[in-house]
Amino acid sequence: MATDAAKAEQYEVVEQPYAETDNSVETRKAVSDKLLGIHNITSNRFWQFAVLTGIMFVFGIIGLAMRLNSGFDDKGAWGYYVAVFSFLMTTTAAAPMVAIAPRIANAHWRRPISRAAEIWTLAGCLNLILYIPLIWLLPSLENGRRSLWFFGQQESKGDFWTGFESVPAYSPHIWATLSIVALILLGLTLVWLSCLPDFAVLREQGEGWRKKWGKRLALGWVGSTAQWNWQHHRMGIVSALYFMMLVFSHFFISVEFLMVHVPGWIDSLYPITHAHNALQAGVATVMLTIFCLRQFGGFRDYIGLDQMWALGKLMLALSLLWVWFWFSSFNLYWYGKKPSEISVLELLIKGPYREIFIAEFLLVFIIPWFTMIWNPIRRSIWGPTLIAVSILCGTLLDRIRLYVGAWDVAGRDFASMYQMKLSEVPVKIPTPDVADIFLIVGFIGGSIFLFMMATRLLPAINVWEQKELLLYKAEIQYHRTKVTVLGKSR
Amino acid sequence: MQEHEQLSQKQINDDLLRDVLTVPKWWLPAVTVLGIIVITGLGSFSYMVYHGLGVTGLNRPVMWGFFIANFVFWIGISHAGIMISAILRLTQAEWRRPITRAAEVMTVFSLMAALHTPLIHVGRPWRVLYWIFPYDFDRGIWPNIRSPFVWDPAAVGTYLIASSLFVMVCLLPDIAILRDRSKNSLVKKIYAFMCLGFRGTPRQWKLQTVAGILLSALVLPVFVSVHSIVSWDFAVLIGVEGWHSTIFAPYFIIGAIHSGVSAVAMLMALAVWLYKLDKYIKPDHFDAIARLLIVVATTWFFFFFLEWVYALYTLEAPEIALRELQAFQQPYAPLFALFIVLSFLIPVPIWLFKRFRRSALVMFWTTVLVNIGMWLERFLIVIPGLIRRTHMTFDWGTYHPSIIEILIVVETFAFVALGMLIFAKVLPLIPLFDVKEGMVFRHVIKVGRKTIPASIREGLPHHYYEKNH
Repeated sequence: MATDAAKAEQYEVVEQPYAETDNSVETRKAVSDKLLGIHNITSNRFWQFAVLTGIMFVFGIIGLAMRLNSGFDDKGAWGYYVAVFSFLMTTTAAAPMVAIAPRIANAHWRRPISRAAEIWTLAGCLNLILYIPLIWLLPSLENGRRSLWFFGQQESKGDFWTGFESVPAYSPHIWATLSIVALILLGLTLVWLSCLPDFAVLREQGEGWRKKWGKRLALGWVGSTAQWNWQHHRMGIVSALYFMMLVFSHFFISVEFLMVHVPGWIDSLYPITHAHNALQAGVATVMLTIFCLRQFGGFRDYIGLDQMWALGKLMLALSLLWVWFWFSSFNLYWYGKKPSEISVLELLIKGPYREIFIAEFLLVFIIPWFTMIWNPIRRSIWGPTLIAVSILCGTLLDRIRLYVGAWDVAGRDFASMYQMKLSEVPVKIPTPDVADIFLIVGFIGGSIFLFMMATRLLPAINVWEQKELLLYKAEIQYHRTKVTVLGKSR
Repeated sequence: MQEHEQLSQKQINDDLLRDVLTVPKWWLPAVTVLGIIVITGLGSFSYMVYHGLGVTGLNRPVMWGFFIANFVFWIGISHAGIMISAILRLTQAEWRRPITRAAEVMTVFSLMAALHTPLIHVGRPWRVLYWIFPYDFDRGIWPNIRSPFVWDPAAVGTYLIASSLFVMVCLLPDIAILRDRSKNSLVKKIYAFMCLGFRGTPRQWKLQTVAGILLSALVLPVFVSVHSIVSWDFAVLIGVEGWHSTIFAPYFIIGAIHSGVSAVAMLMALAVWLYKLDKYIKPDHFDAIARLLIVVATTWFFFFFLEWVYALYTLEAPEIALRELQAFQQPYAPLFALFIVLSFLIPVPIWLFKRFRRSALVMFWTTVLVNIGMWLERFLIVIPGLIRRTHMTFDWGTYHPSIIEILIVVETFAFVALGMLIFAKVLPLIPLFDVKEGMVFRHVIKVGRKTIPASIREGLPHHYYEKNH
């Protein structure tokens, strides 16, 4: 930064004063104590809500049992089930991106909320359980299901390994399974890496079972320079892999569980649209989560306008992107007037699902965009929160519209499949039965239940990241006001 | 940004106004050569107008050739300005400061190059007025607003106006400095007229800052819509194989960002070498732009992969035949291989190494390769699909660009370079006020024995934190 003597002769050297940070041992201990104090207390209201969501979870399991009992022959009956699976993949699996992206960008506003975003990965484990019946539900390639795997539709080219019949290496069953398992494993790895220093804090300062829990999981963490560098490096790699696997998983889900079931639906943009919808819903999920943590969790001093404002801007941008992705597909289909594509529009937008589509359009784009362009709404606590609720409701409607619609026509007419044109558009939406309602309510409640239980095990706010902020944050006098100065380590 | 030299305002003024107030030795020869190329190109255009479009290689079935590929290429380059300037301004990325002006100006000249290419392509450009201007000219025929060819000029024109406004707003403080430093009275009057009375009062600074932020936000939808509309020139058609794909809009845009940001990196290297601006454009800036390019290039490659996979997924014989033509048959196969290698396989692995990312020389040559590859990409999108439209025997043929087309395409490159050089002579290529603002915001924090750079955080005023929400 400073110039040498030769350069100093050419032009004047400007001295820069140091900005003083408050990162004394006492301050750092005060942060740990406060955050651990909040973590150690579980209020009655927490348990009341946990019981409520636990009961919802039980209903979800009952709904799953009822659905399994109905068999695998009628694909249309599983439409709502797949919609719930997709909705949970869209929200819980994408929520960690709110921790990953700002961390890579070195944005300090993410510090109080990154742990809450990462913890959603634990709730995302439910997705793996929901995925298992779907492996049996997908028709095999031999039955003429059109697949993205274009090496022969009618026969397998070879067994993956001896003993398994007709499981070719290019089978989407294998790759979709691998991608979802990998996504969950990467998410768990990420949350463990992120929690390592906090486990050490629990080991030193925790009490009772939390002390033992921290000791087991901290794995000898002492906070040496080598360990910090190792942790930072590994988090970077796992974060990048998680993002790639998220996009990859959404690619599979949108193709194998959605597009292939609708004859004539060939949309090269849709995997990206599906992944983008996940990012939008993930941001909304984290927004709602941090609102609850702030209002009911005792973290009012840590989660403030900065976080709401930053996530609000993200939601605004993602809402705009939603409409752009949607219009890119819609415009081509509508303008081109290919009969196969018009049938798809008829099924999913103009036909029986028109009202759902209009509601979804309002909730996911119109309301967020027309409210969030106003700065006073973005820079508030309630504004972005209500918009997050709107987005989540709209996303649920979107998943129901697409998956229920697709599975309703799945395998109805093999002639349509071969000709790649939907011959008949259903006139009404399949009505959800009791099992479907149990599934929707139960597994959304179940995810919330798992998240809440996870916050009892893991501190909901990153203690080490909050302490690290003390190293980078200073306040200085700037003319007649005080301003914050934030450092960038890399 | 770990590297930084804290400079005084006087030093910044001297460095950045040096090449405006004086003439570098290489400037006049460079402008002369570029001017000759531009005049040659315009001469070729005049020859084409006189003799007709038959002097080009365009003929059934390839009615779109070099000109349209060039048009899409320059629209792509123009996206860099908004990417660097607007998006990085809104995300408060400090490293953008020395490079925003060059990127914005390149956008304006790229858009002019892009706009005049289709005008040249139509053969009788004066007739374009009849099908673009919203008036029926006593013929009873109004422009067909359902046509992407009407959306195109509206979108590109809007983008040009918005970008020009953006450049102008950000130039005002620097023009005011030039007004105050000019010795020639005529030049002083011209700068005084251009700076619109900017004196640096608090209210003027506030308005200038707010205008910059608002324009940044408002121009982003235009930025997205322009290349989307250009892509729909191709994608809405169902008659040409390989074009009717929903991914075209985001694919074109990410490709535009890829080629545009690469062009900005080229400009940065040229600014360091030609204008000796190494105190302002540091290896850290090249590192930052290279990291951005890695993300953009990887995303672009994923979109390219999706576009190909979905084309093959249809199992339609014509679509597969087109892809075979593009990738495996002469004369397109070598171009295809070259395009993949130059756009992604060479540059991205090189950018993964920090040593190369920080080198202006490496960044310059890798980004040149990227832009050659991306020009080929547009060529491979436009021509092979049209070649296969061989419905009748008199349609059978192939496409060979003529010397007229080549000269006109080269003219567009020379036009942009000439425009940038003339701009850099008249107005500073690095924004003085932006750099000075960065110096004011810049602080250092001591962490143990190390000092790290810090910045005053723009955002909520301090009293917001004291308010009990």
